[in-house]
Amino acid sequence: MLGFILQRLWQAAIVVLAMSALVFCGVYAVGNPIDVLISPDATQDIRAAVIAQYGLDLPLWQQYLGFLGRVLEGDFGRSFVYNMPVSELILSRLPATLELTLAAVLFASLVGIPIGMYAGYRPNSPVSRAIMALSILGFSVPTFWFGLMLIMLFAVQCGCMPAGGRGDTVSLFGVDFSFLTANGLSHMVLPALNLALFKFSLMIRLARAGTRELMLSDTVKFARAAGISEFTILSRHVLRLISIPLVTVFGLEFGSTLAFAVVTETIFSWPGLGKLIIDSITSLDRPVMVAYLMLVAMLFIVINLVVDLTYALLDPRLRKGRA
Amino acid sequence: MTEETTAPLLEVSNLRTWFPSTRGEIKAVDGVSFSLAPGEVLGLVGESGSGKSITGFSIIGLIDEPGRIVEGSIKLEGRELIGLQPHELREIRGKTISMVFQDPMMTLNPVLSIGTQIRLALEAHEKIGAAEARNRAIKALAQVRITEPERKVDFFPHQFSGGMRQRVAIAIALLHRPKLIICDEPTTALDVSIQAEILAEMKELVAELGTALIWISHDLATVASIADRVAVMRFGKIVEIGPALGVLTRPQHDYTKALLDALPSRAKPGELLLRGSGIADATPPSRKTATGDLPPLGSPYLVIDTAVKRFEKNAGLFKNMAIRAGIAQPQAVVQAVDGVSITLKRGEVLGLVGESGSGKSTLGRMAAGITVPTSGTIRLAGRPIMSAGRSPRKITTRVQTIFQDPFASLNSRMRVGDIVAEGPLAHRLVSRAEAPGYVGQWLSAVGLDPSFANRFPHQFSGGQRQRIAIARALAMQPDVVVCDEPVASLDVSIQAQIINLLIRLRSELDLSLIFISHDLSVVRHLCDRVAIMYRGRIVEEGDAAGIYDDPQHDYTKRLLAAVPVLPIAA
Repeated sequence: MLGFILQRLWQAAIVVLAMSALVFCGVYAVGNPIDVLISPDATQDIRAAVIAQYGLDLPLWQQYLGFLGRVLEGDFGRSFVYNMPVSELILSRLPATLELTLAAVLFASLVGIPIGMYAGYRPNSPVSRAIMALSILGFSVPTFWFGLMLIMLFAVQCGCMPAGGRGDTVSLFGVDFSFLTANGLSHMVLPALNLALFKFSLMIRLARAGTRELMLSDTVKFARAAGISEFTILSRHVLRLISIPLVTVFGLEFGSTLAFAVVTETIFSWPGLGKLIIDSITSLDRPVMVAYLMLVAMLFIVINLVVDLTYALLDPRLRKGRA
Repeated sequence: MTEETTAPLLEVSNLRTWFPSTRGEIKAVDGVSFSLAPGEVLGLVGESGSGKSITGFSIIGLIDEPGRIVEGSIKLEGRELIGLQPHELREIRGKTISMVFQDPMMTLNPVLSIGTQIRLALEAHEKIGAAEARNRAIKALAQVRITEPERKVDFFPHQFSGGMRQRVAIAIALLHRPKLIICDEPTTALDVSIQAEILAEMKELVAELGTALIWISHDLATVASIADRVAVMRFGKIVEIGPALGVLTRPQHDYTKALLDALPSRAKPGELLLRGSGIADATPPSRKTATGDLPPLGSPYLVIDTAVKRFEKNAGLFKNMAIRAGIAQPQAVVQAVDGVSITLKRGEVLGLVGESGSGKSTLGRMAAGITVPTSGTIRLAGRPIMSAGRSPRKITTRVQTIFQDPFASLNSRMRVGDIVAEGPLAHRLVSRAEAPGYVGQWLSAVGLDPSFANRFPHQFSGGQRQRIAIARALAMQPDVVVCDEPVASLDVSIQAQIINLLIRLRSELDLSLIFISHDLSVVRHLCDRVAIMYRGRIVEEGDAAGIYDDPQHDYTKRLLAAVPVLPIAA
């Protein structure tokens, strides 16, 4: 098992290195941040001084190597716009996105999987058909539209939910969280729901497909022949068997939501990472973009590692080979 | 025989279980009646689709939607089971009636430990604590003769062999001391020697516990060795029922006779089977490849010389580097074939017999040029079958293969005509213009209508598909055909047809065959020479008659002794 983890970490290092090179070159091609950084009426001298200060006059590979060297020392550079260390900037935004994403993904799984299993257990009942129709709707409705509808319905018409912002936060281990206060929680509901919609539909469909297939399997028939109740069959046999594809999708969705919650965060003006990256792209804030994209790559690697380790936990057949 | 003296445990009368389909009702079970005394063993025999399994599922109340019991009555100790509420049926299942299925690989849940699965089955009918459940599980495993039950109770199904898994399934079925166990093809997926063990143990357990048994099987011989009475089913009806010995030695119904006649073990080796013939098969097309350079019949043709096949586990980048540097040991390897030398004479049928994992299929695949041997050579008339070099390729079309599963071996998206024509076209045995006629000739040679060329594989039954697979192999005009369990997944009557087809084509085309099978009676019937494989080696080789009548090696003796034998009419 240790060998397996080491191998994965080694792979992760390569991926992150490749990612950093890709992102660095890509961002270099996007545009010249100097035009954004200094006012158009600055003198040529100031302009040259600023360029030299940020090392923008060096060839690309030298800039890249310099950047790599600083990263190894833990320095991702300073944001051009906020004029603060990028790592601090990202860390200050991460908790907001993390709690929102976690809430969305957990909701999608904890509610979506049982609903999907029911739909797979009784595939022909009207309720199941309705569930499936709605889940298709969940796939196809654009996130921004659904978010606007939520705001219109609950914040504007009924007024029972706040339309945006994080609300009151509580500091836990030096990090601000919203979910610990009633006010913060109420601010979270709508964006989390909006973010969850797609994943919710996905979980329903996955759980249904798996359950439907398994209900016809010999494993379930044999359990029934032993007189085991339908609930026990579903909760002990079927859930365990469908959990592997579910965990895979859970991991992937968790990662992509964490990285790209942009639309929802913008609509609900949630001060998370999504808003940060959009702002930094529009202002060509190179260090933030590079560091953020590397963070995303790392996030995916870590999540995939955890998913792989979970497989071994869920499926004893995978334990032997990797020990 | 016992019906008059004891009240029946189970009484099934006029049972009809139907499945609605787009083409009207499928009458899977259509008026079945029988009764079963306590402790009695009833064998339910029939070919696939005869309704024998559905009868079993009807009794235990597990008919899948949209199937339903249309009419009839199933009385267990006088209590009517049809019309009971789902929870009442659940009370009976596992407690009074339990069931064992065909494939223990599929029935046990792969992600739950054996102990957990037994506990769930126990909790279904009684309140029980964790420690107590574990004890009961250990006892249950010991009862089905699993050694070290204290340790094995924490095993997962994949840590057991097929036979052990089936024992676990039987242990679960026996947990609540049911009065009736329905066994649906419980030994079909197992090797003969394991089958013999399970049969013997089942017989003992049933006698010990006084449990009645319904033993569902397509195999008359296994049924004969366990059942007191036998019921033969066809098209959802019981055509004949009576004491096992009587039905199998003096069959009254034509269908029972036909089933028995289709068995190769009852015919003289090499002769056409009685029920397999009757299809007007056309003569195969004459071959276009040069036959002048072929050696005469009876001379050594395909020569396998110390062939070895090892399957190595991929160790990953680091480990491989470490192995190369000599720091780490290579991963455990599977030695599928371990230095086998054997010669196939031209015109001969060589049987390769062995249990699963003996390496017989791997050897066959090497002979056919599908798998590259790790070492050793395989030559056809002195020339290698595969090219040398880093990525060896098969370089002859003279060896072709027929695979076991005709459902998996035919591309379901291609028309039958294209499947058969693909190889000959690629090797320019025929021109594109001639292809349809050529395909038609081969289809009629294997007893199919040439117009079937436009259809897709899914429109055919298993036996017909195997004929298509044979036509595909023969259309390449091979001299040697490797048949890898070609009749293993077919019903006896279809099996007889395919065996007859192979016998006929072999003599018409002067084919040499390597016939791989686990079924000793089929091999005996078809093969001139037999090689017995065990753990990657050939332990015994010789004339078929010699091997069967006077086996020398212990393993061969054990294998032959494990084969259930049908009683022969006096």
